[in-house]
Amino acid sequence: MNCAPRLLRIQNFRALTVCLRAIVPAAAPFTSSHTHSPFLHGCSVQHSLRSFHGSGALQKNRAIAKDYEEKSEHEGGKSLVTHDDLFERVAQESRTKATFNRVLDVFVKQDIRRRGHVEFIYAALKKMLEFGVERDLAVYNKLLDVFPKEVFVPRNFIQRMYNHYPRQQECGVQLLEQMENYGVLPNVETKVLLVQIFGEKSHPMRKYQRLMYWFPRFKNMNPYPVPHELPQDPIDLARISLSRIAADLDAKVTVHQLPYTDITESGEEVSQPYIIGVQSPDQRSLLAKHNTSRPVFVEGPFPLWLRKTCVYYYVLRADPLPPEERTEEPIDPERCFFYPLELDVDLDRDLEDDDSFDVDEVVEGPVFAMCMAGQGDQVTLAKWISALQETNPVLGRTATLFRLESGPGELQSAAEPEPASETEAEPGPAEEAEPLRSQRMKQ
Amino acid sequence: MSLNGLFRFSKSVKFGRLLSPRISQSGNEVTPYLQSERFFRTHTRKLAYAKDLFLGKVNKNEVFPYPEVSREELDEINQFVSPVEKFFNEDVDSKRIDHEAKIPPETLNGLKELGLFGIQVPEEYGGLGLSNTMYARLGEIISLDGSIAVTLAAHQAIGLKGILIAGNEEQKAKYLPKLATGEYVAAFCLTEPGSGSDAASIQTRATLTEDGKHYLINGSKIWISNGGLADIFTVFARTEVVDKDGQKKDKISAFIVERAFGGVISGQPEDKLGIRGSNTCEVVFDNTKVPVENVIGEVGGGFKVAMNILNSGRFSMGSAGAGMIKKLIELTSEYAGTRKQFNKSLSEFGMVQEKFAVMAQNAFVMESMAYLTAGMMDRPGVPDCSLEAAMVKVFSSEGGWVCVSEALQVLGGLGYTKNFPYERYLRDCRILLIFEGTNEILRMYIALTGMQHAGKILTGKIKEMKKGNIGVALEMFGKKLRDSVGRKVDLGLTGKDGVVHPSLTDSAKKFEENVCVFSSTVESLLYRYGKTIVDEQLVLKKVADVLINLYAMTAVLSRASRSISIGLRNHDHEVLLANTFCSDAYFKNNYWMTQLQRNSPENNDESIKKIAKEVLSQRAYICSHPLERTY
Repeated sequence: MNCAPRLLRIQNFRALTVCLRAIVPAAAPFTSSHTHSPFLHGCSVQHSLRSFHGSGALQKNRAIAKDYEEKSEHEGGKSLVTHDDLFERVAQESRTKATFNRVLDVFVKQDIRRRGHVEFIYAALKKMLEFGVERDLAVYNKLLDVFPKEVFVPRNFIQRMYNHYPRQQECGVQLLEQMENYGVLPNVETKVLLVQIFGEKSHPMRKYQRLMYWFPRFKNMNPYPVPHELPQDPIDLARISLSRIAADLDAKVTVHQLPYTDITESGEEVSQPYIIGVQSPDQRSLLAKHNTSRPVFVEGPFPLWLRKTCVYYYVLRADPLPPEERTEEPIDPERCFFYPLELDVDLDRDLEDDDSFDVDEVVEGPVFAMCMAGQGDQVTLAKWISALQETNPVLGRTATLFRLESGPGELQSAAEPEPASETEAEPGPAEEAEPLRSQRMKQ
Repeated sequence: MSLNGLFRFSKSVKFGRLLSPRISQSGNEVTPYLQSERFFRTHTRKLAYAKDLFLGKVNKNEVFPYPEVSREELDEINQFVSPVEKFFNEDVDSKRIDHEAKIPPETLNGLKELGLFGIQVPEEYGGLGLSNTMYARLGEIISLDGSIAVTLAAHQAIGLKGILIAGNEEQKAKYLPKLATGEYVAAFCLTEPGSGSDAASIQTRATLTEDGKHYLINGSKIWISNGGLADIFTVFARTEVVDKDGQKKDKISAFIVERAFGGVISGQPEDKLGIRGSNTCEVVFDNTKVPVENVIGEVGGGFKVAMNILNSGRFSMGSAGAGMIKKLIELTSEYAGTRKQFNKSLSEFGMVQEKFAVMAQNAFVMESMAYLTAGMMDRPGVPDCSLEAAMVKVFSSEGGWVCVSEALQVLGGLGYTKNFPYERYLRDCRILLIFEGTNEILRMYIALTGMQHAGKILTGKIKEMKKGNIGVALEMFGKKLRDSVGRKVDLGLTGKDGVVHPSLTDSAKKFEENVCVFSSTVESLLYRYGKTIVDEQLVLKKVADVLINLYAMTAVLSRASRSISIGLRNHDHEVLLANTFCSDAYFKNNYWMTQLQRNSPENNDESIKKIAKEVLSQRAYICSHPLERTY
């Protein structure tokens, strides 16, 4: 009973809009401004009310089935282009959440029947990344709000049995999927909207339920979460990265050298790359015990990925001790005042209580310190080593060898030396001369 | 570590022998025989009671009958005790000492006049020359004020002990008389900022001057009790020693340092939770010139001196704790008897009654353990009771903490205020779990000393079993089978030649059963872990706990048997306490030993370790807040 008058109204409304277009040409290109829409809105409502008593012939002519074809005919199949255009035009001003929202508002208010909303939503989904709102739940909800309410809710068992309004449902699922891909968790508002739009047991609703089942469970899976927004400052980024690699709460990050650029009297540009190192007390004591007759190595660059950013680090390490030098220090019997540290019993652990796995362990050499630098050349890294000498005097007596490779970053930066490149450029010795500092550590 | 060497070392110490004639054995009929036998076998006497429990052996002659003092000695003790008791009741204002964080000089002088600064210093050096038993008896009263007890203990239980047990005649003659009268106060300087129990991290260094007549000591020592008062310090410092191979090596030496030598700087007294009246501060030695004659023992032999001092001073803590609890029972029972709620006095409520039972039982057990140990130490021969003393310390410090807390609970909110002494007792007795070796470290000592002892004897057998020697394996299996069928364990405590009174038969049987299971547990632990058991601290903790309970059971069985046999007043109460404690301890022991079985579902050690590891790796409590949500 309820649907008949509503259908009537829709028919009426459609007719009116057509009229309105003719009357008010300014309304068609709705890009012009925000202020138009209230007027537009008010207008259509007024008209729709009045046209309730309009002729029945109009309604008969335009059946719902034909609705869509009609529209595409009318708009010349350009709907998608139009919506893209809409965003493009706004984008000329600025690409922000506010402008994105304004486009949504304009679309919603311009046509109470939301004609072409599916195309519009698809277009909007694509544009979200550009506008930087791809992780914004409010925007997704607003976008979902574009769907007309209650129209696609199945009303009887036959509708429920078949795929009711598949295009619209597909679109809703797509929207949720994009949320999923960006790790945006829906909220109750999303649920209410979905229920209003598609009903309790629709596909988008199922999608929502699956999201809500898995997402919270996976949210804190990573024991070492990386922040969504990485700091832009390369020094802060290096701090984060180094404390991540060090995995020792005692490890101390030291800024050995701050970056600066200066122009000397002779007009020569002198720039100093930053050098940031990390060393834990354990590493320091390990280094202090290092046999000075053996060299230590500075190796790198090694890549570290933080989400979409790749940074490079260098390590100071030594070769593992040869087996003949690996001696365990005997426990001094006069060490503990209170109890024996060792039992004088000639029995080993029983096999059944030996829980250790039989693993072929590759012996690796000790790593004494790590660093990140604005420049990966030997000169810069030598500065790091000399800075380390202050706390590790043993380095002054030990030979330091630099085994620097040209990392993958360098290859890429050589191939595409534009500053916007996504990968880090960490030039090897070959590229030292080039002033590439600006592009390093950039996302 | 060569423990034997240590024992030999302690054998050379003479003070035990000086006091020995005062002590005689219990008054029942076997005494003359036992005594003469003991005299005969002084050197072959088994020195180990607790250690042999690891092997399932109960050397009942060591602990039965309960040690006694002679009539004359008892009178002498009582003569000593009454003035001391009077002094503590009338002249010691504990509240003021606690509040002002200082013991008033007149109180200290009173203590000196009573001779309490030289309780164990031999009479020839001007001390009281009391036995360990009498020292324990005095400790009961002294413990009524924590600050005074700690000041006196720091002075004589560790401060001057070095001179007493390892000093030469000249050193004794020079220092002991003045220390015994309290003219000089002593302090023990071992702990350093970087070194608690670890000798390797001692930084204080003593260097020989060029003329070879003096040592220059440099370094700082922290948490030195009496550090601000003391005139004589026993200082441990690193010295360069040439060892057998002709190599130079750093070893610890002990020195007697007088404040008058110069360069001794005491820091500000620490502001402590409890025992506030005792003086604890940092002591810095800055080029302190110490003559070579002031080295205690040999140069480089300081480690053993330190170990012996630490091991010898602990037994009195049992009587001290008991003394404190006895006093608390008096104070709180008055309140429980008079305070009425719902027309009933507090003493009629079951849960209040339970608190008094706990206090009485703990006091009884502590007392029994303390005097049993003191009696063993006072015996002729050269007893090594460090294991027993450590057990007394662990048991009584923990029991004391529980009891003081229960006593405070009886008074409820009143106990929490400063109007009553309970909060002070609570603060004061917290230190007992910490000093003289923390309870954790002492548990390691208790368990490992026994494991070492058992390991020496069982290694051969276990190796045979591991090799698959069917004979040994079958013997083991047969023994286990017989045990499981329910053969009664009989270690000879009861029955025809029994030493336990028949009214304690059940408890004695429980004890015997526990000992039997304990020895097989120890054997299986050695089989399973071998020498890597050193790293299994949670296992060792349980072993130590079981052993402490076994020793406590021994002590109460022995004491209650004696009391009932000679008809002491209220011996039935003692029997009741002994039986209650034994059945309680029996269940606890069984539980712990079940946990020690392989793949025991009761054993949560792995989970405990994992929890700790996860928390410690983040250095924080890592659970999400209960109000946190993910969507």
